Amino acid sequence: MSTIVEAIDLRKTYMLGKIPVEALRGINLKVDSGDFISILGPSGSGKSTLLNLIGALDKPTSGTLRVGGVNVGRLNDNRLSEVRLKIGFVFQFFNLIPRLTAKANVELAMSISNMSVAERSRRAAGLLNVVGLKDRMHHKPAELSGGQQQRVAIARALANKPKFLLLDEPTGNVDSKTALEVMSLIHKLNKENGVSIIMVTHDQKLAREARRTVHMVDGEIESDMVN
Amino acid sequence: MNVIDVLRYAFSAIKLRKLRAALTTLGVIIGIMAIVALLAISQGLQTTISDQLNQGLSANSLIVIPSIDDSDNEGGGFGVSFGGVDSSGFRLYVNQTSEVESLSPNITSALAIIQRSGRIVSESENLNRSITIYGVDYATYSQTYSSFEAEYGTVPFNPRNDTIVVGSRVSDPRSNGTQFVFPGDDVALLWLNATVLPPVYENYTARVSGVLGTVGGFSIGVGPSDTGVYIPLSTAQSFFDTDSCDMMIVTLTNSDNATITEVSDLIKDYYGGQVAVISPEAIQSVLTSVFSTIQLFLVGIAAISLLVAGISIMNIMIVSLIERTREIGILKALGMKSRTVLMIFLAESVIIGLMGAIMGILGGWGLANVTAMVLASGILGGGGNFTITPMLSPTVVFGALIFGVGVSVIFALYPAWRASKLKPVDALRHE
Repeated sequence: MSTIVEAIDLRKTYMLGKIPVEALRGINLKVDSGDFISILGPSGSGKSTLLNLIGALDKPTSGTLRVGGVNVGRLNDNRLSEVRLKIGFVFQFFNLIPRLTAKANVELAMSISNMSVAERSRRAAGLLNVVGLKDRMHHKPAELSGGQQQRVAIARALANKPKFLLLDEPTGNVDSKTALEVMSLIHKLNKENGVSIIMVTHDQKLAREARRTVHMVDGEIESDMVN
Repeated sequence: MNVIDVLRYAFSAIKLRKLRAALTTLGVIIGIMAIVALLAISQGLQTTISDQLNQGLSANSLIVIPSIDDSDNEGGGFGVSFGGVDSSGFRLYVNQTSEVESLSPNITSALAIIQRSGRIVSESENLNRSITIYGVDYATYSQTYSSFEAEYGTVPFNPRNDTIVVGSRVSDPRSNGTQFVFPGDDVALLWLNATVLPPVYENYTARVSGVLGTVGGFSIGVGPSDTGVYIPLSTAQSFFDTDSCDMMIVTLTNSDNATITEVSDLIKDYYGGQVAVISPEAIQSVLTSVFSTIQLFLVGIAAISLLVAGISIMNIMIVSLIERTREIGILKALGMKSRTVLMIFLAESVIIGLMGAIMGILGGWGLANVTAMVLASGILGGGGNFTITPMLSPTVVFGALIFGVGVSVIFALYPAWRASKLKPVDALRHE
């Protein structure tokens, strides 16, 4: 199994006004292809910061972070966007473009990677079918329930055949029944489609569903164990 | 992301805020409309004036007049010494025409014109009008100017001493078809002789031989004029008691620049530099440069409104950028390059600029035509005979498009740049 993410003594310090805040204090982590790990911790533990770094949305202050073998700490803005293209990000608040339909939202991600129009349409329909939204693909986000929006977001995250999915509290904004549906979809993608999953949550129960749980406290990894 | 996708995405963003986009576009429309309308009218006016001037000028003729300055003068005396007597005492003489003709084989003829203000009076026809009397050789004059042709009666090449030919508005002053003078009528011609004290009105009775067709245009005292009365040159010499003439029209075998320059120099040398030699082209080029200046000035004023439109585009784009910060974060998280974000914002301004420019050009063209109609109808006074045909040259259309889109893009550069520089992690956190 190849390594998709590798962090060595990864640190991130924010400036909160004039006060430096150490969000990450030396993280060492290795994620293999096909893995399903959950990062668990209270708010302020640095789990979202770690996720943003892995997702190439932000740059580390020091240390090494390899995503798909590339050291993202040294990349310029332009190269970082290329890395992001190969990462499927799923946000707590869905972050769909409100004026576009479910299908157009998925297609947008593919237009960024210059996929042909025909291919986009075919693939978007296929992905929305996988997440169970075949009948709702021409609806705008406002016409979809929270769970449905999150499934559109997952379909969008899969649009450019990512190396892995990053999920930031994917069930944090939906009801418990919908949460179960979303989780079973994530499990399905991991098991049947071999998609690697890195999921951030503060829900212990949810975290235990992953194959491996990384527990973070105060910017450090407290425990890292296989469930 | 390819160009079509960028444009499509930009268009979907504009469509979301239709009213705002429409108002922003309106700013561009008004600016472009003002520029196009002003240019269309002023270019139409320039064409009208230059056409009318051309009717009074013959392309292969030169105008020779006394120079107001004794030093080498390059036509600066034009207009000032017209029809008058030069203060230096220098004069052109009627009997010099044959010598001028022999200066160059390129000269076909030299024509002396004596010009005085006067009146035409006919008690039986109830006519008493001030006119300009021109003493010319009928044969040479009609060869030089094809418009010197009678509509009623004839222009005799060997006129009697008392023969006169009158312009159309001398006979029909109101241009309404009521003719006051007919061929064969006897009229009195008068001029105020101020060379003696006290000044006296000299007069003689003349017989109308012909009435010219309408020439139109502005009379600059060179070609046939609608308000002119033409008498034979020899009659003018005795009537005005003079051997000098006010100007000479030298007709050339061709209108090449080389010929014009060569003959001009020969004539100036002959008169020892005391004359100005004016070619119709020189007058046209003065006219063109005057109009260029006026147009530049008008467009400059109109461009200010476009500048205001540009600022409003910038303002709207900054508001839009703040509203869409999260959206920009999403696009970047999906892997969109900063460059593409920049292109999307610029594409929005291109769409607004292009729509504004196209509508502005159409609107400006419409406005120019409405203005021309209003001018022609005489609602604003001026007798309603002032016709301008607005002109829209491809250069103006192309320029307006470039200018409209250019201003939009330039003012969108800063907001677009700011959008492209947003950090995805910060943009996503934006509520």
